[in-house]
Amino acid sequence: MTESTSNNPVDEFKPIVLVIDDSVDVHRLLKARLRTEELEFREALDGESGLKVARDDSPTVILLDLDMPVMDGFEVLRVLKEDPRTLQIPVIVLSGLQSSQDKVTAFDLGAVDYVTKPFDLTELRVRVRSTIRMQRLIRMLAQKAQIDGLTGLWNRVYFNTRLTEELGRLSRREGNLSLAVLDIDHFKSINDTYGHPAGDGVIQGLAKLLQGEFRHTDSVCRYGGEEFGVIMPDTTLADAASVAERVRVAFERMVWPRHPERKTTISIGVAAVAGSGTLTVEAIIELADKNLYAAKSGGRNRVVATVADPRSVAGLRAAG
Amino acid sequence: MADPRPNPRFIVSEFADDPDMRELVAMFLDEMPDRIGMIEAASREGRVGDLRRLAHQLKGAAGGYGFGVVGEAAGRLEEALTAEASGSEPSADLVAIRAQVEELLDMCRSVRARASG
Repeated sequence: MTESTSNNPVDEFKPIVLVIDDSVDVHRLLKARLRTEELEFREALDGESGLKVARDDSPTVILLDLDMPVMDGFEVLRVLKEDPRTLQIPVIVLSGLQSSQDKVTAFDLGAVDYVTKPFDLTELRVRVRSTIRMQRLIRMLAQKAQIDGLTGLWNRVYFNTRLTEELGRLSRREGNLSLAVLDIDHFKSINDTYGHPAGDGVIQGLAKLLQGEFRHTDSVCRYGGEEFGVIMPDTTLADAASVAERVRVAFERMVWPRHPERKTTISIGVAAVAGSGTLTVEAIIELADKNLYAAKSGGRNRVVATVADPRSVAGLRAAG
Repeated sequence: MADPRPNPRFIVSEFADDPDMRELVAMFLDEMPDRIGMIEAASREGRVGDLRRLAHQLKGAAGGYGFGVVGEAAGRLEEALTAEASGSEPSADLVAIRAQVEELLDMCRSVRARASG
């Protein structure tokens, strides 16, 4: 998912259950009843602190008591469903046996299920289990839609989402951001000479190299056919250029099992934003692409890196 | 020797035979004298808000430890106190409420983890 901080997509799913209930006993009982489920628990004794935990820890599922003093469960549910940070978290409401109207209202407000108090052990377990299973599937599908099949790297969809997020962050507080665009030199000729499996092998080899060379906070993406993009948050132009150069050299030295006699090389364009930028996604990609083109026309197998000036790029775009 | 027959005066946890729950039920019973003391004090001193909160907590908790009837009695008391707080004739129900508090306290004093011993 987009909030992942890993440079390659890996599914590390450990369900977190947030219980919001004003009774210490209910927390104690739920923990005991769900002991066998391998869950991580967060506890809140009132609505206000429950909302805070929901925002900070993004739990997998929330068990929410309806009948609480000060801020009741309905109000908590309403706030959860209005906040984009907590909107997607499934909520199971804990309600008394006889209050069917409460359940209807809770469903209307966006609850996915309910459990009646006192808890029936089997029912509680299956309802929590099925909600977590559903959440796991949603997460998996969302992630699958953002993964490149050949390399296992993030794909273009993720690249665009992530770059938009990072530029948005930069417009709110000062910082650095670098973007590298890489392209395999004479890729068509490798395909034509040695066949497509050889070409795929080169793409996979580069993917592996990139995953190893970049930090886990960087996002390594396969942008198109033989083109890759790497988003590097908190990275200056100098640092980005030096990693790019290291990658270029390492790639040039690789020996390919299918064609050991033929070296392959990459060209890299790097663009960096410094300070609080108001650069658009299109503008930073355009600059990185321009540098990539300069690297190609300068003889390939090289890195060209420049800092983006938000005003001049905006002006350039306006003029063009 | 302990009498093996169930004592009808006692309210026994529905989870008496559930090993997963033994420890929790024991903890609940350990805390019961404190709870009874707080309910008695709130009732004696006429702290309606506190009494309602204690009844509310017991309503949510007792059933979970296998004492459904206690939870229901606590729920009835909470309802009566809520009605009393918003009612137009406050003094009329006080006698009934005192009786409900006594009934609940009697139940609280009768809870046991197991049928015998």
